[in-house]
Amino acid sequence: MSISNRERFLAICRFERRGDLCLLTPYINDFWPETLELWVKQGAPKEILDSRFRRAYFQFDHIRILREIKLGIYSDRKLDIGGAAYVYEIPPIVPLYQPKLISEDEHTVTLINEGGQKVRVFKDSPQKMPLFLDHPVKDRASWEEYKKRLEPDTPERWPSDWDAYVQKMNSRDEPTMLNVGSFFGFLREWTGLESLLYMFYDDPHLIEDMMDQICHLETESIKRVVKDIRVDSAMFWEDMAFKTGPLISPDMFRKFMMPRYRKVTDMLRSSGVDVVFVDSDGNLNELIPLWIECGINSFWPLECAAANDAVALRKKYGQYIILGGNIDKRALLKGKNAIRQETMSKVPFLLESGGFFPSVDHLVPPDVTWENYRYFINALREVGGLEKLPE
Amino acid sequence: MEGYLNAISRAVERGDDKQVVKIVEEALASRVPPLDILEGGLVPGIQALGKLFKDGQVYLPEILISCRAMDRGVEELKPYLADTNIHNKGTVVLGTVQGDLHDIGKKLVRLMLECNGFSVKDLGVDVSADSFAHAARQHSANIVGMSTLLTITMTYMPKVIKALEQARLRHKVKIMIGGAPVTREFADEIAAEGFAEDCVSAVDEAMRLMRL
Repeated sequence: MSISNRERFLAICRFERRGDLCLLTPYINDFWPETLELWVKQGAPKEILDSRFRRAYFQFDHIRILREIKLGIYSDRKLDIGGAAYVYEIPPIVPLYQPKLISEDEHTVTLINEGGQKVRVFKDSPQKMPLFLDHPVKDRASWEEYKKRLEPDTPERWPSDWDAYVQKMNSRDEPTMLNVGSFFGFLREWTGLESLLYMFYDDPHLIEDMMDQICHLETESIKRVVKDIRVDSAMFWEDMAFKTGPLISPDMFRKFMMPRYRKVTDMLRSSGVDVVFVDSDGNLNELIPLWIECGINSFWPLECAAANDAVALRKKYGQYIILGGNIDKRALLKGKNAIRQETMSKVPFLLESGGFFPSVDHLVPPDVTWENYRYFINALREVGGLEKLPE
Repeated sequence: MEGYLNAISRAVERGDDKQVVKIVEEALASRVPPLDILEGGLVPGIQALGKLFKDGQVYLPEILISCRAMDRGVEELKPYLADTNIHNKGTVVLGTVQGDLHDIGKKLVRLMLECNGFSVKDLGVDVSADSFAHAARQHSANIVGMSTLLTITMTYMPKVIKALEQARLRHKVKIMIGGAPVTREFADEIAAEGFAEDCVSAVDEAMRLMRL
């Protein structure tokens, strides 16, 4: 009996399809734009730049992110910098800021982006993360102004023809994912990391106010979405850890974030959404048990350079958690032996254990060659009992 | 005197800058020698915090506010210290390598090194090999510290080492590297003497390199 893509996704999340290789895209299996451009030069078909072609070529499994509803972080915003795309992430503010060129020199451009951040971007490589020079929220007064862009009922936050959108999304034979924002990550985007870390001590009430507004935006919006649309999974975006651990203490996490996460995840679960991802770079080992307490059960990208080990996590947490990523991007730089070793040391166990969506441990960077990436996908397919990709 | 020093140390450790300033002023008024305040109060406070960080009892916000408290205390002492350089354990030239604009990790390393008595010349981000070599010569650096967040810019680090060799400075400086994709193995591979995973271990590593 055939199974729909949506049922398959949910069955994997429920540990009911062990051994099934599901390469989700976008987001989970995704690339720096520069990587794809370089691959064309290395002999990849030029259509690889197109996401639909790429999906078909690599036989990826599509997850429909409900990106038309502006609730989460969006990285598909683009500005033209000297003929190349500066792709940047903005939180769900409506209206956006008007982008503005401030200055430029031989190598860089300084501008205000649509998120209100002043950034310096490389002209020849605008996809790299920029240098953040200034942020829109500095104090209570600037927050009160900024906050006006975070109301759930602003019409521009929603697809203009809601009924048509609902019908389109519900008619799809593929899993859906709703971005449900961020409690740490958004604040960092609004204030800058250093200012934010000081603010936890200098103005904790402002932190609480900002997080309350996020909570209000998310819960009110989720209420509206789940009433009409079949949502299969949700994704928080935090990026709140560095190489050896979290950016704030577990105590701060419990005090500021946990109660608000719970409001969001309770609402999701009461609507049948029980696959709740968090995307965070860095070492997550201290954070994962806290997120589990908050009702979050799925983790990506599990960066290897930051000592995340999906095999160890599976052994520790069993079926409490769903895992994604954790294939060391650095192995894909080293060549076929390293790729094979990395893949075979993890993926057979993780696939057989269930609840695992393989991918490189973040976006595929430009120093991974086309040949190596194809070899990696074929190694995954071998583990999944699938034929190699056609030449 | 011990009472003042312990109180300063504890105030630095908990990042209470106002209290640090208040007790330093009181200590100075009571004729506690400024150098004793620095070495017996402020420095032990930040060192205790470093230990707490390594033990997982404090995190980056606590590091930041303690460094700020230390800094405020040092500012109070400056007019009374005949030689403001007395605290200097060595000079570190620090930067994020060319092609990379990431700043925050390097900034935290700078803060912690400064709080622990190093003089730091922060070259910023996107720093060329020649700029590292030039600054190392100009400031008579003991250590050159390089940071990167990206695998694609990690490969620039050996170029900086090469530039230091060409400038005949390699034997005069120790190299210390860090950043998300960087490992001790990579440091060994490129013959960098030092590697640090975070801002506190960077202080330990700098101390080790300076044989302090």
